[in-house]
Amino acid sequence: MPKKHLPSTVYEDVTELPPSRTARNRVKRAAHSAGLAVEDQLEPSLGVDEARSSRFLGVEGATVSFGQGDARIWPLRGVSVMFERGKLSLVMGPSGSGKTTLLSMLGCLLSPDEGSVFVDDVLVNQLSETEKTAIRQKKIGFVFQAFRLFHSLSAIDNVALGFELRDPKQSQRLEMARQLLDQFGLGDKCNQEPNELSPGERQRVAVARALAGDPPILLADEPTASLDAQAGRNICQILRNQVDEHGRTVVVVSHDPRWRKFADRTITLCDGQVEQEERNL
Amino acid sequence: MKLAWQNIIHDRSRFSVTVLGVSFAVFLMVFQGSLLVGFLRAASRLIDASDSDIWITARGVQAFEFGTTLESRVREMAAGVPGVMQTDRVCMAFAVYRTPKGKQQVVALVGADPNVGKRFPVPDVPELAGEISPDAVLYDVSDRDLIAVPALPTEVEINRHRASIERQIQGYGAFLGVPFLFTSYRNAIRYLGFGPDDAMYVVLRVSKGSSVADVKQSLQERLPEVDVLTRDEFAHKSRMYWTIKTGAGGAILTAAVLGFLIGLVVVSQTIYANTMENIEEYATLKALGAPRSLVARVVLTQALLCGTVGSILGLIAVIPVINHATSLIPWIYMPWWLPAVMVVPSLTMCSLASIASVRSALTVEPGRVFRA
Ligand SMILES: Nc1ncnc2c1ncn2[C@@H]1O[C@H](COP(=O)(O)OP(=O)(O)O)[C@@H](O)[C@H]1O
Ligand SMILES: [Mg+2]
Repeated sequence: MPKKHLPSTVYEDVTELPPSRTARNRVKRAAHSAGLAVEDQLEPSLGVDEARSSRFLGVEGATVSFGQGDARIWPLRGVSVMFERGKLSLVMGPSGSGKTTLLSMLGCLLSPDEGSVFVDDVLVNQLSETEKTAIRQKKIGFVFQAFRLFHSLSAIDNVALGFELRDPKQSQRLEMARQLLDQFGLGDKCNQEPNELSPGERQRVAVARALAGDPPILLADEPTASLDAQAGRNICQILRNQVDEHGRTVVVVSHDPRWRKFADRTITLCDGQVEQEERNL
Repeated sequence: MKLAWQNIIHDRSRFSVTVLGVSFAVFLMVFQGSLLVGFLRAASRLIDASDSDIWITARGVQAFEFGTTLESRVREMAAGVPGVMQTDRVCMAFAVYRTPKGKQQVVALVGADPNVGKRFPVPDVPELAGEISPDAVLYDVSDRDLIAVPALPTEVEINRHRASIERQIQGYGAFLGVPFLFTSYRNAIRYLGFGPDDAMYVVLRVSKGSSVADVKQSLQERLPEVDVLTRDEFAHKSRMYWTIKTGAGGAILTAAVLGFLIGLVVVSQTIYANTMENIEEYATLKALGAPRSLVARVVLTQALLCGTVGSILGLIAVIPVINHATSLIPWIYMPWWLPAVMVVPSLTMCSLASIASVRSALTVEPGRVFRA
């Protein structure tokens, strides 16, 4: 990484990044320039300082509520979790414990009532919608329980759209999509539409779409809940490989215990609070 | 962008329904609009056909079809007003027409001096001299079943006077179900039993160099007991009378306005419903980091495509229907600008409706993409 390009003061104290004009503009500029530009600026400072790298991805003192008055509920109450760069973290917990809510915050899709959210070392909860969209676009791949493929697009077009979203000027996207699908054993299903694929195949297409454009972070919400055992293991292995071979940071939300042996760390939520943290590997 | 096209190609049946909705709406708007435009045009057709600058009518006359007679001195006095170049007379009254077979029919008999206007259908103009007699009677082709003459010329009776039907004309068809018959002024007053100096309308031309407004004002000062109107004022008055004050025009006006509104509602509803069908996918697109502009473009492309195809189909369908309808409704009229004027709001509505759905797509609750 070309460290010399980085103004040394810019990310001096990321944790205290104020919601000031300059800070916002900095992120905005970074986000609006090419995807790599953001990384170029951010990553060097991380490697240097352990304290900062611990705020690569996560929430601090995050409280989230929905509804009003008597109907108000608090899916998360003052949760602090940091996810390590280049690791596969598993978030477990009973249904309704706030797992998805946590993941939504990491995905810049939800802002907490209180607390801070860090994504790729940037304090994101003060950013504008446009800025958050840019972070999702450049930094985060999503995998959903319900696949969320575009029903009218073939497998290859779904993945190509993933490339296009990250880089609208990417002209090689069809070839790249084909390569990615090949890697996931879907080379012969490129032109099938989602409803012609098995659930396992659909989820592999979805993972390929999430990985298109090489995002550093992958967030998966119950990625195996709609799959049979065999297809589920397949997805576990694919995501594990993303960590081992590509150094991606993966957060998986699931109450599927099979994930444990694929995860570096397991965080268990209960009633909107962190109940337990354990290292697996 | 491929997404927009693929959505349409993929969901052909839903797309067809949307297109059908839009084309129905465009059809309705253009058809009702043609009725209204045609009705308005027919309501002032004979006034517009005159080349005169000013129409003098008896006080309070609301429409061409309902004139009353003027005193004979009106024409003489008008002719004496400075700036008045030429005065002519027009009359119109209902009369009883007897077909050669003896069937009776009420007609609206119109008589006019030869110089009223080049387009005003009268027999005694120099252009027709030799072709038909100066006292010939003319009728419109759309009224041929009511007039029921086996050949031209045919002797008939109008108000028990002998008359000779000699020519079929076009574009002056029945407007109220009562056919028009046209003849020379002197002939018309004979059939109608008016005195030789009676007139119903005095129409006049202003000499070059005088202002119509000035002449109108001096006429009105000289002739305070009659109405002095420019041609366009009288045409407007007539149209307003027929559309606003009568049930017939009111119904057409209401239907046109309703057709327009229903059209817009149908267009926006179908587009909105179509977009909402895919709302989950727009939410996904947004979650995956698509900028607002891209989401908007996808939705708008689909909406405008539906709008364009639907509009074209609607127009393709409405044109033959209107042509066919002319045999039943001779005054229906679709000017060239009407389809354009109707397509613009329907496309605008498509866009507005899709903006509503884009808004829903953009403001969709983010957690939604995680729901199973
Ligand atoms: N958008 C929302 N509006 C209202 N309540 C919500 C919303 N999202 C989640 N919740 C509620 O928050 C709680 C935690 O939800 P969630 O984070 O989805 O739990 P988990 O993913 O662990 O099952 C649940 O009680 C859920 O009903
Ligand atoms: Mg959940």
